[in-house]
Amino acid sequence: MSQLLPYLFLGLLLFAVLAWWVWDTIVHRAAAEVLAPHRSRVKSVASHRDLGERIFGPEDWDFVSRETSWEIHRMFQRERTVLAISWLRRTRLQVSQVMRAHLAVAQKSEDLKLTTEIRLAMSYLLFLVLCNSLIGWIRLLGPVRARKIVGQTLQWAAQLRGAFEQLMARVDPESCGVVGPNFNRGTVRS
Amino acid sequence: MTDLRSRTLSRLPGDFSRLVYLASSRDLSTGRYSHDGLAFHFSETVASKAMAACHTEVFDRLLFCSLEELIEELGKYISSTEVRPGDVLRSWKHLGSYRVTIPLECDEMAAEVFLSNVKIALAILQRRHESVLQDEQSA
Repeated sequence: MSQLLPYLFLGLLLFAVLAWWVWDTIVHRAAAEVLAPHRSRVKSVASHRDLGERIFGPEDWDFVSRETSWEIHRMFQRERTVLAISWLRRTRLQVSQVMRAHLAVAQKSEDLKLTTEIRLAMSYLLFLVLCNSLIGWIRLLGPVRARKIVGQTLQWAAQLRGAFEQLMARVDPESCGVVGPNFNRGTVRS
Repeated sequence: MTDLRSRTLSRLPGDFSRLVYLASSRDLSTGRYSHDGLAFHFSETVASKAMAACHTEVFDRLLFCSLEELIEELGKYISSTEVRPGDVLRSWKHLGSYRVTIPLECDEMAAEVFLSNVKIALAILQRRHESVLQDEQSA
């Protein structure tokens, strides 16, 4: 029994960190964004998907590796890594905003299905884990190598979006516009 | 906008020159654009709105073009100035003058992507320029 204690402790610690992290993402960061909406939100929403493709697309990397020196390769990698991480953080924030909007509406609803809510929460949690792992992955390997996984993650995010929209429509049809175009549909070419 | 595109912008060599022209027609304190010809025919407000719309249009084209195309556009702009290419490249790199070319109503992420691409394009052009100079010296 005593041999299991360290594992139990580690498990609890991991759970606590994960719980804090999700809480922080849903409540604090999303709230800050909701309370202080950005002036150009509408514009950013329209081109966010295309910007992802622009950042992770292979065309520029092919050109840089073909035409330029090692020094420029490194500079390009560094620049794109910064952009890719910044873009992923924004995507995560947008998903958190949607989740928060859903939570706000769900609290008022009397017609909630617990199993669906739990499934949604689990998907969201996994999305956050994947998103944060991706950020680490991009830091280690660069955005070009992580392109395929990014595409898959965004497909998942798009599925989450569909689920949110259906739930929002059922719970509160008027607030469906919150989800609207403010989300990435995940079309990064792999 | 059609008037602006056909009479003024089409005469400039490439999109980067158009971007620089449109950005330099803007008052940095107010964000309003000025164009005497357009303001005379229409009004100052209409002229400013048309310039802003064209600015965003040109910016978007440059944002989504490939790095290779951006380098070409930047090269065309540098050649069109009467300053030595090395001087332009140096001052743009060190002063970051290209930062003022971003439209006012631009998304933060789009601005980040554009600035990063211009930074890389400038480094590549400078590298090319240096190797041309070295070749000339050795010849």
